[in-house]
Amino acid sequence: MKRYLIIGNSAAGVNAAATIRANDKTCSIKIISSETFNSYGRPLISYYLNGKIKPENIYYRDENFYKSSNIEVLLNTKVEKIDTIKKEIIVDLGEKIGYDKLLIATGSNPFIPPIKNLNFNRQKNVFTFLTYNDSIKLKEKITKNSKVVIAGAGLIGLKAAEGLFGQVASITVIDLADRVMASVLDKSEADIIQAHIEQRFISFKLQTSICEVQGGSNVSGVSLSNGETLKCDILIIAVGVRPNIALAKEAGIKTLKGIVVDEYMQTSIKDIYAAGDCVEFSDLLSDESKVFALWSNASSQGEVAGLNMTKIKTKAPKALAMNSISFFGLQLISAGIISNSKSGNNFICSVKNKLRKLNIFNDNLIGFVLINDNQRAGIYTSLISDKTKLSTLSYDITSRDIGFNVYSKDERTRKIWDYKGGY
Amino acid sequence: MRKIYAFESKCLGCGLCEIYCRTAHSRSKDIVKTHKRESITSAIVVEEILSSSTISYFALQCRHCENPKCIKACISGAMYKDDNGVVRNNKEKCVGCLSCVLVCPFGAIKKNDDGKTVSKCDLCVDSGEPFCIKNCPNAAIKFLSEDEARVLK
Repeated sequence: MKRYLIIGNSAAGVNAAATIRANDKTCSIKIISSETFNSYGRPLISYYLNGKIKPENIYYRDENFYKSSNIEVLLNTKVEKIDTIKKEIIVDLGEKIGYDKLLIATGSNPFIPPIKNLNFNRQKNVFTFLTYNDSIKLKEKITKNSKVVIAGAGLIGLKAAEGLFGQVASITVIDLADRVMASVLDKSEADIIQAHIEQRFISFKLQTSICEVQGGSNVSGVSLSNGETLKCDILIIAVGVRPNIALAKEAGIKTLKGIVVDEYMQTSIKDIYAAGDCVEFSDLLSDESKVFALWSNASSQGEVAGLNMTKIKTKAPKALAMNSISFFGLQLISAGIISNSKSGNNFICSVKNKLRKLNIFNDNLIGFVLINDNQRAGIYTSLISDKTKLSTLSYDITSRDIGFNVYSKDERTRKIWDYKGGY
Repeated sequence: MRKIYAFESKCLGCGLCEIYCRTAHSRSKDIVKTHKRESITSAIVVEEILSSSTISYFALQCRHCENPKCIKACISGAMYKDDNGVVRNNKEKCVGCLSCVLVCPFGAIKKNDDGKTVSKCDLCVDSGEPFCIKNCPNAAIKFLSEDEARVLK
């Protein structure tokens, strides 16, 4: 009986486990998770924070998933070491668990920047916002009088702000960039998002950063690099995430920014695979190796790893950066390269709270941003991932809303009849 | 598994399929009550093809892919494939994030009018044959197995 071991119980780990079980009914599958809860929709932690979902609906798979698939899960368990020679891992209780095939799906860790007087582990009102536990602890701590400061106006920081809205006295978001979601959006799109969020009396301090925190075991305020000081009772650090590669690195597995894998998700050591936010992978558009902290990418890679671990040779497709997220009802969907600074011709159509931006380069769509204009977004995504020559389409995609009628009759028929999906 | 296939030469673009799709997914199952009292987003897109000489139409809905991208993109676990291969969305779990809309190559998943969930074709699995098929006046959409469809491609 083959022994499959998976470190990590989120999108990559769970999808790998399900795929392994689908292809091998008799093997043993064990998932090790450092978290307290069974797999949950990680991006849903902000929905938990504001009560938009019931706690029982946060779970990614229903209650009997692990049992019915005969997958054993060890929660609250930290892996101390991977012994690649003996093919076993050592967990924090000293227990050794052997494997025939191992998947590392350890995800990301929040990045804690060096800030004077900040001691994340000891200060009781400083939070990160990446796990269900983070969200539960934050929810317990806040009161309607809380003054909240969030460091980071990226996706995580803004979702934390949305989750807290209406439950606290004030929310201030700080970012070094000149705009929100700077790694994803240009100024013109970011300004729409920011203005919409500001209507909820969430304030922004941009182009500045926290250089010092005040207080002892509780942070009482922050000093900014622009000279301002802000009082706060809750500080959330959301300046980004880093791939969790320590375990792999220590075991002698090749790592750069993330764990290095081949297109079959295998690491530099035989029988050890890695998938999800902890790996770096080839970018569809630039061919550069990058870390993609994306749910869909993690579940896809988990599946592909699961296939290869059960000897069904399958290549993982190159990754495409994309996001679909909303803030207070304003929907943002984007994919590919969208920055004006990169080569390409931007077509922008914008009215009030609505925006459609298409980035076209050399007869290819290489990126798009849609704000409150989302119905057929997947057709744009397909044009990017298929590298479709725009001149072969039935009309100029900048001239009207996109539809499946953009393809020629033959192409439409071919896709409708034969398309099978993909990773 | 049977799926819905559109035949462009027969489609009138009348939109009855959308009307019956909404009815099928209503509480009342009554065409008038559905449209007067309920707000339901149809899971079909009727597309228009304009050429210099003619206008033609076709109805498009979820292709129930063998290896669906929408399921992998779903952050809540709401999107799933049932035992018969039908790709379905559990509205109890769906948070309307539109990650599925972002990856569906057919653009066949729609944001629901209530803004909270998405709407997609479920082949009317809970009520027998798809309502759109039964009510298409010109047999422009057919409910076919892959083998049957191949012959008519």
